[in-house]
Amino acid sequence: MEYETIVGLEVHAELNTKTKIYCSCRNAFGLEVNTQICPICTGMPGTLPTLNEKVVEYAVKMGHATNCSINNVCKQDRKNYFYPDLPKAYQISQADIPLCEHGYVDIMLDGEEKRIGITRIHIEEDAGKMLHNDAFQGSLVDFNRCGVPLIEIVSEPDMRSSAEAKAYLETLKSILQYIDISDCKMEQGSIRCDVNVSVRPKGSTEFGKRVEMKNVNSFSGAMRAIDYESNRQIEALERGEEIFQETRRWDDMKGMNFVLRSKEDAQDYRYFPEPDLTTIYIPLEKVEELKKTIPELPNAKIKRYVKELGLSQTDAELIAENLPRCGLFDECVSIGGVSPKNISNWILADVSKYMNETGKDISESNLTAEKLVKIINLIEDGKISNNSGKIIFDEIMKNNADIDTVISEKGLAQISDDSALEKIVNEVLAANEKSVNDYRGGKTNALGFLVGQCMKASKGQANPAKCKELVLKYLNG
Amino acid sequence: MNIDVQHLAKLARLHLDDKEIEKFGRDMENIVAMVEGLPDTSGDASGLDPEHPMKLREDVISTEKITREELLSNAPKMQAGCVVVPKTVE
Amino acid sequence: MELYEMSASELSLMLKEKKCSSEELTRSVLSRAKATEEKVGAYLTLCEESAVSKAREVDAKIAKGEKLSALAGIPIGIKDNISTKGILTTCASKMLYNYVPPFDAFVMKKVNAADIVVTGKLNMDEFAMGSSTENSHFKKTHNPHNLDCVPGGSSGGSAAAVAVGSAVISLGSDTGGSIRMPASYCGVVGLKPTYGAVSRYGLVAFASSLDQIGPFGRTVKDTAALFGIICGHDNMDATSADREYPDFTAALKSDVSGLRIGIPKEYFGDGVDESVKQAVMDTVRELEKQGAKLVDISLPSTKYALNAYYIISSAEASSNLARFDGVKYGFRAENYDSLTDMYEKTRSEGFGDEVKRRIMLGTFVLSSGFFDAYYKKAKLVAMDIVREFGEAFEKCDVIATPATPGTAFKLGENMGDPTKMYAADICTVTVNIAGLPAISVPCGKVNGMPAGLQFIGRKFSEQTLLNSAYAVEQLTGEVRPVNV
Repeated sequence: MEYETIVGLEVHAELNTKTKIYCSCRNAFGLEVNTQICPICTGMPGTLPTLNEKVVEYAVKMGHATNCSINNVCKQDRKNYFYPDLPKAYQISQADIPLCEHGYVDIMLDGEEKRIGITRIHIEEDAGKMLHNDAFQGSLVDFNRCGVPLIEIVSEPDMRSSAEAKAYLETLKSILQYIDISDCKMEQGSIRCDVNVSVRPKGSTEFGKRVEMKNVNSFSGAMRAIDYESNRQIEALERGEEIFQETRRWDDMKGMNFVLRSKEDAQDYRYFPEPDLTTIYIPLEKVEELKKTIPELPNAKIKRYVKELGLSQTDAELIAENLPRCGLFDECVSIGGVSPKNISNWILADVSKYMNETGKDISESNLTAEKLVKIINLIEDGKISNNSGKIIFDEIMKNNADIDTVISEKGLAQISDDSALEKIVNEVLAANEKSVNDYRGGKTNALGFLVGQCMKASKGQANPAKCKELVLKYLNG
Repeated sequence: MNIDVQHLAKLARLHLDDKEIEKFGRDMENIVAMVEGLPDTSGDASGLDPEHPMKLREDVISTEKITREELLSNAPKMQAGCVVVPKTVE
Repeated sequence: MELYEMSASELSLMLKEKKCSSEELTRSVLSRAKATEEKVGAYLTLCEESAVSKAREVDAKIAKGEKLSALAGIPIGIKDNISTKGILTTCASKMLYNYVPPFDAFVMKKVNAADIVVTGKLNMDEFAMGSSTENSHFKKTHNPHNLDCVPGGSSGGSAAAVAVGSAVISLGSDTGGSIRMPASYCGVVGLKPTYGAVSRYGLVAFASSLDQIGPFGRTVKDTAALFGIICGHDNMDATSADREYPDFTAALKSDVSGLRIGIPKEYFGDGVDESVKQAVMDTVRELEKQGAKLVDISLPSTKYALNAYYIISSAEASSNLARFDGVKYGFRAENYDSLTDMYEKTRSEGFGDEVKRRIMLGTFVLSSGFFDAYYKKAKLVAMDIVREFGEAFEKCDVIATPATPGTAFKLGENMGDPTKMYAADICTVTVNIAGLPAISVPCGKVNGMPAGLQFIGRKFSEQTLLNSAYAVEQLTGEVRPVNV
C-alpha cells in the first residue's frame, strides 16, 4: 500500500530582545552559568513577572509576517509542571487566546508553491538548562536561559514530506531574520522544534494517530527525524501493528527515536489564567503601525525577482535568502539603468565571492549600490570590458578607489581595446591618406599627427600608447 | 463522583499514605458537594479587561545586580556555580 | 505608662520633642516581647540587634534635625511571609525553615526608607492558610485577651503582637480575611487595602488574585499612618495601581453626618453569633445618632462566596506553592533515590496538612476535565459578587458587617474540621473576591472577648473606611496593650 506522511511543526524561536520576557535581566547566550539571573527568573518566593513590551511587539510582527489575525486583547496563562530547569514549576505561556492565529506562509519546493497554515503564534518563557557530566554526581541546573523570550509558532498538519518540512523551516527562519526578531542561531538553540508525524493510506482523508517528537535541534535533523518516524509508522502498519499517540525523543546521533511518554501518562498541565499579569491590550493603531514595519518578505521578493525582473528561480532564491545580499540588489535595482540580471550575476559571483573570502558583511565593505551600478553601467554601455569591471571592483574593495581614476590610471577604458581602437585608426588613416603617404615616404613626424587625429576622433578616450602602437602596426604592416 | 486522589497527588508531587488518601478523598468530595451548590451561570470568565490594560515593561537592562552567590545562597546543594539535583534521565 | 503601651502617633510626637529616644522605645518593646513571648508566642524571629542599631540611626537623624516620616523610629513587627533581606522568612513552614531572602519586599523598602524599626518576624498560619495561626509549623500563638483562645489567622502573630504591646504596629496579609479576622479576635484595628493599592512584590504568594498586604495598629490613626507609608505604585507588580493617594492621617475625621451605611442582611443571618450581631448593630446605631444613615442592602451571592473563594484560592495556591520543591531554597528531604522521589519526599515532609489539603484541592479543580465546572464557575460567581457590590454602592458609601461570625474560639476547637474552620471566613472573603478595601475596628466585647466591626468600601475608598472606623473608635476609646 502507498502511504502519505502528514507533518505538523511547533517551532520555538528565541527573540533577540535586550532583556528577558518577565524581568530586566540581560537576554544573552553563552555567558558564565547563573550570572544572568535575578530573584524573578529564579522563581524566588514573592517575586512577580512584568511583561516586556518588545516581546509583544515582536510577536505581533511575526503574526503580520505570517498573515495571522492579531488578538489585540489577550492574556497569559500558567502551564504547570515540575522540572528542575523550571524554577517556578510553571511556565508562563498563552493557552486559549494566543497573540496571533489563523495565518499561513507559502513555501517553494522544486519551483512549486505550497501554502502551509499557521494555527497560532504565542509568547512564552524559555526554561533553564540541565548540565550533565559524568564528573558530577547529579545533574546541574543553569538558570541563565530561564525567562528568555520565545514565540511558539504552531503549523497546521499541512506538510506531506520531510522536504516540505525543511522548506517550511527555512521559510520561517528567513522571515525571522528579515523582520530581525531572532538571531536564528541553530547551534545556540535559538530555533528549536517539536515535530508531529502521522501516516495514512494515500487517498484517505482521515488523519492517523499522531506521534510527537521532541529534541529536534536542526533543520536537517528534522528531515531525518520525519523520515525515520514515517518509515517506522509505515513498517508498523505493514506488520499489522497499531500506532499509539505518544511522545518520542529523537536521538540524532543514533538516528532513532525512543518513547518518552505514552498517552496514558500524558501530562496534565492544569492551565489557568496567570493572576500576576492582567490583560494585554495593543491599540489597533499600534497593531497597524507594526504592520507597516514589515519589509517585503522573501517569498514576495522571489516572486517579484522572477516575474518582474526576469531572474531565474534559482538566482532569485539565492539573492533573497540572504538579507544583505537582497538589500544590495534591491538598492541597485532602484537606482536603475542597468539590467537586473547583470546586477544579480555580479552579486552572486564577485560580491558573494569577496564576502565569503573576507568574511565581511557588505555594509562593512567599500562597496555601495551606486558604485556597483556604475560599473555595470560602464560594461553595458561598452565603455569597459567585463574584465576591466572586475579590476575596478577589486580596486574598490581593496583601496576604496575612485572608479574614473582607476579607469584612466589603468587605461581600462573600453576604447583601449584593440577592436575599438582599430576601427578609429582605420577611419583616421583612411581620412588622412596624405599623412600616411608622408610617413611611408620617410617623414616620420607624420606619426605624431596621425596619433593626434586618433585621439581627437576618440574624444580623448583612447589610450595614446596603444593608439600609437596600432598606427605603427598599420603603417609598417 | 470518582476522584483519583492518587493521580492528583502525583500531579502535585505529594506522597500520601493510605490514611491521607482517604482523608483528602473525603475533602474532595465535600468540595464537590460544595461546588454543586454554585449557581449555573454561564458567561465569559476569561477576565479580559481592555479598559484596564496592563502596563508593559520597557526593554531596558536592569543595573541592579545581586551576585550569583547571594542569589543561590539558599540552595540546598551547589556545585560549579550551579544548583544540583538528582540525575535527570538523558 | 510604659513606652510600649503608647500609640505610634503619641510616640512620634515624643520622639520629635526628644521626650524619649527610638532606642529607649525599641528596647521597651523588645523587652515587652521577651516578657510576653512565652505566653503569647507572637514572634518567630526577634531581631534585637538590628532593631537597636536601626533605632540608634534614627535617633542620630532626629538629633541632626532631619525631616523624617510620621512613623520614623517606631517599632514594627512583620508577618513572616513578607520577604526581608537578610532576615529569615519562613512563612511558618518547615519548607522554608532556613530561607533568608536576598531581596526586600516592596513594602520593606518603604518601611526601611521611612525609618520604621523592624523588631522581628511574626507567626502565622503556614503559607497564610488558616484562620487560627494553629497551622504554624513552629509554634502556637495565643490570644492576649484569653490565652486559651486563638488569635485568629492567618496573621495571628501580627494581631497578637500589637494587642499585647510587643509591637506598636505591624504588617500582615489578607487573602480571605487574614488581617481583619485576627484584628477582630485580638481587639485591634486591621486594614485590608484595595487590591493593587499595596505592591505584592516580595509577599510570598498564597493566592495571587486575592492577596494583599495591610497594616495593623491599636489605633485607627496608627493604621492610617502605616497604610500611607506602604501604599503606592510599584512597577515590579503588574497588578499594582498607578494612582496618587491622599495623606490619610491628615484627612482623618470622625464626622459621619450624611454617611450612608449599608447593612447587608446576608451578613447578619444564621451562623453569625447573636451577641456579635448585637455589638455591631449597637455601634452603627450610635453612628446613626451622629448623622449617619442606615440603608438596608442585599448581597445575595454572598452565600456562594466561600465556595468560590476556596476554589480560586486553592487553584492559585497549588500553582504558587509548586516552586517549593527542594531545588533552589528551603527544605530538601534527606534520602531520595531519584528526582521524583526527592520532589515527593521534600513536599510531603516540608508542607503541613492544611497546605497539602489546599494543594490537592487546587490541583483537582484545575485538572483536565474539571476546570470548567470548578474554576470557571467560581470565576463567574466572583463576577456576580463584584456586580452586586457595585449595585450596593449606588445606595450606600460603606457597608457595615461583623468582621467575624463569632469571637475568638479555643485553641484546638476547630482543628479537626476544616469546613468549620473555613466558615470563620464567611464575613470577609467577598471583599477579597471583589478586590475591595475593608477595615476591622473593635466595637466592644462579647462574653469578655473583643468583637470587630467591618466596614467595606468602594475601591480606593480607604479614607472613608478609616474615617468610619475613627468614628467608632471615638465611641469605644483607643486600645491599649492587654495585660497577660
